[in-house]
Amino acid sequence: MKARKMRKIINLLSIFFLAISIFSLSLYAQKNYCIECHQELEDELLAPVETFEKDIHQQFGLSCADCHGGNPAEEDIDLAKDKSFKGSPKRSQIPEFCASCHSDSSYMRRFNPSIRVDQLDIYWTSEHGQLLKKGDTKVALCTDCHAAHGIQTSTHPKSWTFPWNIPQTCSRCHSDKDYMKDYKIPTKQWDDYKESVHAHALFEKKDLSAPVCNDCHGNHGATPPEITSIAFVCRQCHPSAGELFSQSPHKEVYDEMGISECEACHGNHKILPPSDEMLGTGEKAVCIQCHEPDSEPYQIASQMKEKLDAFIKKIRHAENLLEQADRQGVEVSEPKFRLTEANTILIMVRNLTHSLSLVEIEEKIEEGKKVVAEVTSAGEAALREAKFRKKGLIIATCFIFLLSIALFLKIKQITKKTPYKSA
Amino acid sequence: MNRRKFIDLFLGGSLIGTFIAFLYPTISYLLPTKQIEVVIKKITAARLGELAPNTSKIFKFGTSPGILINTSDGELRAFSAICTHLTCTVIYEEDTGTILCPCHNGRFDLGGNVVSGPPPAPLESYNVEISGEDIVVSKKG
Repeated sequence: MKARKMRKIINLLSIFFLAISIFSLSLYAQKNYCIECHQELEDELLAPVETFEKDIHQQFGLSCADCHGGNPAEEDIDLAKDKSFKGSPKRSQIPEFCASCHSDSSYMRRFNPSIRVDQLDIYWTSEHGQLLKKGDTKVALCTDCHAAHGIQTSTHPKSWTFPWNIPQTCSRCHSDKDYMKDYKIPTKQWDDYKESVHAHALFEKKDLSAPVCNDCHGNHGATPPEITSIAFVCRQCHPSAGELFSQSPHKEVYDEMGISECEACHGNHKILPPSDEMLGTGEKAVCIQCHEPDSEPYQIASQMKEKLDAFIKKIRHAENLLEQADRQGVEVSEPKFRLTEANTILIMVRNLTHSLSLVEIEEKIEEGKKVVAEVTSAGEAALREAKFRKKGLIIATCFIFLLSIALFLKIKQITKKTPYKSA
Repeated sequence: MNRRKFIDLFLGGSLIGTFIAFLYPTISYLLPTKQIEVVIKKITAARLGELAPNTSKIFKFGTSPGILINTSDGELRAFSAICTHLTCTVIYEEDTGTILCPCHNGRFDLGGNVVSGPPPAPLESYNVEISGEDIVVSKKG
């Protein structure tokens, strides 16, 4: 009985020690000596360890060896740097280094079935890729835009390639005058962009659909759009302005003269919010950049502006009437609702200016004027009603006031006739 | 102070108070300040059966336009008809089954999401419920 009990204890102890051993071994096997050693180092040799924790590759279960090779389980540095060890690639090798996985569709599918795998091919067509091929290693490489370690997906707000971080990412090189001096290209794109309507939408309104550098220049295939393709780039978001422009007489002339369509009037990086002042022959009008005062187009531009201004004036007048009536307590929600139709027509007219068709613009304005006329007449009627109510109130108030005085006098007269008797 | 003087004072004070109470709203009406717009949260947008499948109706929601759509599947959906780009009134395009802004060709799907063009945000969507013979549209939240 005693021996049986002893055997049971020995068995239990054996199982316990075996479990401890397996656990220790597994811990030993999981230990990443790349990280263990680099943690003890400084500066650029320490940096990968500090940033890799938040890296998307780490989150998908990849480790140092998956990119750099070697054996992270070996504590000894010579053994760790075995035949598979690739180390840190030279700058010129980085695109292909990353592409060894990112261009492998069957490998990438395991992590993200819809991820693109053509980045390298596109990169070689970019201005950066072309220059790299010529031996210029100052150009942007994968790690310059995505970081080397601590890489985040472009959907992460802290990623260097998240929409509102992209302008800063590009400007790290493109706004650096010293860095860019050999390339002889402007370095004020970022300053210009910051003043644009697109930057306002992105940074003030937090509108992530607003275009940033890569939306017009491409990302991996980044290159300045050719003059003929600028309009196509803008049309990605502004199709109707593009269609109208294509029907306009400007299209043929611009093509012949090699003028870029949208850019000629709206600029490129510093695209300011469009205003009515851009039309016509005033100081801020873009038409006068090309058209002489006596020319027919100059006259047409002037007429367009006059008609647009007159229409806007009518809308504002109607708005003003409704506001006054509303303030005076008359119900004007119906004409106010109708006025939204006039505002829609006004925005359509502004867009129609891209067609340069005075006839079409006039037709649309006439359509809008009918709506505004109805609203104006409703506003005037509402104000007449308000006036009538006011008159009625004043008359009623006067009557009540007179009645009060009369009552007061009557009471005084009665109290005079029947004075209080002293006790 | 004797009783008579007290009663005279009391009556005089009350008379002045009554005049102020009467004159204040009268003057406020005659010299109005800006009124705060009443926010409407619920409205009858249409009568049941008014909209054939794959058609729409612009309705008045307060002073703003709303759009009620009876999809080709017979499902009722309602949105603010104000385009999120430059506030034009959107329309339902029957042949594509999408919502279109006629000003700059911004396009939205039947969930109100932007499909193409310059609109920066989806259309505000409304709740739709049937109440007797009425199609009632209300703001969410």
